[in-house]
Amino acid sequence: MKDLKHLYYFEKLLQDTYNDLARQAQGEGKYAIGHVCFQIPEPLLNLPGCFSVRLRAPQTGSIEMGTYYMSSTLCEACRAYLERAIEGGFNFLDCIIAPDACAQMNRCVENIEKLHTSPKENFFVTYSDVPMKSDESALRHYVKQMRIHVLEPLHEKLGIDISDAALRKAVEEQNEISALLTAIGDYRKCDNPVITGYEFAVLCLSSYCSPKHLIKEKLQETLEELKTRVPDEKNPYRIRVVMVGSEIDDPEFIKLAEECGALVVADRYCFGSLPGRQVIELNEEEDALTQICRTYIEWGKCPRFFNQEKILERREYVDMLAKEYHADGLIYEQIKFCDYWGYERAAAFHIMDEEYGWPTLSVDRPYAVRSSGQLRTRIQAFVERVELKKINANKAKQ
Amino acid sequence: MGKALGSEPLGKVLYSGHRPRRRREWRGLKDTWYDYTRWLYYLFTLGKFMMKPNNFKGFFRYRWMSNYLAVPDFMDRHTEGLRGTALRLAHEGIGLIVLDMTLSLTDMFKADPEIGNDTELSKKMVIFDENMMSTLMGGFPNLKWVSYEVPAIYSSSFMCQNGVMHYIDKTHEFGVPTDVCPMPAAELGAALEDDFPLIGACAVQCNTTCDGSLMGGGLMAQSMGIPTFQLAAPIRHRQESVQEYAGEEVLNAIKFIEEHTGEKFDWDYLFKNMARFNEETKEFLEWLEINKSPYPQLLGATLGFYRYGVYMAAGGRSQLFLDTDKKITALATKAYQNKEMACKEYRHRAILWGVQAAYYTAFPNWLMNCWGILPINDMLCCVSTEMVSTTDKHQALLDLGHLYENMIMRNRSNGGYETGVEDLFRLCEQMNVDMVIMYVHIGCKAMSGYHGLFEEEARRRGLHWIWVNHNLMVPLDGTRRDMRTEVNRYMRTIMKEEPVDPSLEEFDDSLCW
Repeated sequence: MKDLKHLYYFEKLLQDTYNDLARQAQGEGKYAIGHVCFQIPEPLLNLPGCFSVRLRAPQTGSIEMGTYYMSSTLCEACRAYLERAIEGGFNFLDCIIAPDACAQMNRCVENIEKLHTSPKENFFVTYSDVPMKSDESALRHYVKQMRIHVLEPLHEKLGIDISDAALRKAVEEQNEISALLTAIGDYRKCDNPVITGYEFAVLCLSSYCSPKHLIKEKLQETLEELKTRVPDEKNPYRIRVVMVGSEIDDPEFIKLAEECGALVVADRYCFGSLPGRQVIELNEEEDALTQICRTYIEWGKCPRFFNQEKILERREYVDMLAKEYHADGLIYEQIKFCDYWGYERAAAFHIMDEEYGWPTLSVDRPYAVRSSGQLRTRIQAFVERVELKKINANKAKQ
Repeated sequence: MGKALGSEPLGKVLYSGHRPRRRREWRGLKDTWYDYTRWLYYLFTLGKFMMKPNNFKGFFRYRWMSNYLAVPDFMDRHTEGLRGTALRLAHEGIGLIVLDMTLSLTDMFKADPEIGNDTELSKKMVIFDENMMSTLMGGFPNLKWVSYEVPAIYSSSFMCQNGVMHYIDKTHEFGVPTDVCPMPAAELGAALEDDFPLIGACAVQCNTTCDGSLMGGGLMAQSMGIPTFQLAAPIRHRQESVQEYAGEEVLNAIKFIEEHTGEKFDWDYLFKNMARFNEETKEFLEWLEINKSPYPQLLGATLGFYRYGVYMAAGGRSQLFLDTDKKITALATKAYQNKEMACKEYRHRAILWGVQAAYYTAFPNWLMNCWGILPINDMLCCVSTEMVSTTDKHQALLDLGHLYENMIMRNRSNGGYETGVEDLFRLCEQMNVDMVIMYVHIGCKAMSGYHGLFEEEARRRGLHWIWVNHNLMVPLDGTRRDMRTEVNRYMRTIMKEEPVDPSLEEFDDSLCW
């Protein structure tokens, strides 16, 4: 296929956490809010006067300082973020709004704070307690926490408007981006999609790392472009997979999978679009904050939700995605040392295969994957297994 | 050899490089006789336990039961080198835990469909997570609190250092990575192996301890075959804004138990139990006061094990524990007044922070006997000492919520920098210590995340800081000897000290229980 017109532009945005658009927004007088987890609803961080930047550590090399402070048995992503903070890569941030979701990311943010990595005098960090269940008690708690540990500090320290109207405006802006990404992502359902998993991952990730209003135009153009984009005559991919798991903040992993012949048609991982890039429906009867929180609790597919209904829901959701996106198999991936996904993928490896009938690959991976020959070999072997299964199934039909 | 502390070269007398079959230590006539009678008592308790047909069957049904053959050795390990009051305190405290365990196992086997099959008893049982306090069961006079993970996994590992390796291997075979905490891994392994009794009317799980524990519990719930409730105690538990939710979750758990057992929560009964719990807390505070002095009495494993039993398992529901508390306080106070010592020399006062190695819970005894390092307090004992309301229902719910947020281990592994780091240094000042023995539990991500911050703060305060690596229930990843070596090296190279008992500096206990 011919390259997407703006792909290079979006790829470039991902080369640096403090990208051109973040600089531009700060130049316009907006505050940069660092965040580290899906559990803080993005609209709360994108109120008029501020924009959110999901912490990443692109082009990570050595993480020795991060390893010293957090030890070698912690998630590499967390160590890489800390390393980047120590190097000064997050100096542009005005604050970090963090949930105490997983212990490792929490430690990462605490280290960033306690080591005084930010040169900004008024830089601050907040930690909120986010729910682990999806019932009404949890929702009330969630709303309270978001009010006390997100909205009020933003208002008191940065003067951000946190009114209901401001929240609705932020939701509206996010909905525009989400609608665009959903429309773009829907092309992955086609038999021979006009967009690859890698390309979509670049676009989607950019929306987590850049001020939303500044990428809208390019996303619109990309959507238009896709309407007439001609796919390769012969589909170069051997199987279609749903990628499920812990955060992927480097699309190179998706590229690696696709180079092995596995087209990633659905992105059910942290930093992906499923869920997270759907439209948030607000009504006028209830306050916006409660509705936003309810949406995020319903969306939440992180394994830290530990009530049985949510555990079952996660599997059903992946099954539903695999059917909707016509996948041939699932790849459950996990950043090494992630406890949540360590258990989740181990269980899914058995359950999604034995109970739902999906061929499943279960892998753990380092933070920076590009050069991982081991991962490549495992994905290649999986592709061959699934492809063989498909061939045999076709033969049996005939 | 005799009555005096440190009069025997323990490394030579007790450790031969083989699994010990005989392990008596000469402590002078009076103490040896006392120790021997206690040893007979444990043997009698175990014999009585095994005489019951259900227990006999249970012994052969469950692999983990074989670990309890090592109970006498377990007691010997935790009284090593002790004399006088320290010896008596250890037997009083840890001995009660042994007795309590046999009672709990007897009930479990009686209800077990594969053994006693007492379905009526089973319907009266509510299963709790291993690291979850029993306290809220103090409001259900007709129900039995059971935590089968404790005898199967937790204390199994205390008894025998390789005791749960089989289950951990099973979990790894299932596909769970080897870097997760071995405790939930072992529990999941036992569930996968069908090595837990299928008992109880319902179960309550909690987001205890760590992310791995939470995930293991979630998977285990499916094998339990009974309705389960997940109690989500807030993680950021020092924040005032979370306390209402904590209380609300306790109330939700109570409603769940009521619904699935048909029992009504009895507030008067709860208040009665909480009054006892508060009394127990007051006794514990007495012990801490004594430990602040130059003549601390409840040290190391004695303090740790007993506190676990009282705080987590008994939860104010047993008069026997309060009676023992008072007995311990009386003994400790008298010993303090008499300036009794627990080991030959007191060179350093240390706080043990991080999670202790389940396979080497006698490590604090070794610290005392070998290097004269006094384990004044450890992290697992640093739990809530707040009183629970015995008159106001709403306040009692908030207080229970606070307790569940502050369960052993969880209250330090969760809650952030102030609970994991700041509190430690505050305690160091309070307890007048000059040294921190920092356990590095390889699978515990919560504490490891503070590695650098710990070191920098200790340096700033001039505290001696010894890292001791282990992997909780997997001795292969950091043997008992490895743990000792890390202390030996520090004491030799940094402190330039000679051991109090040189025979304990280097010995082989790899084959021991």
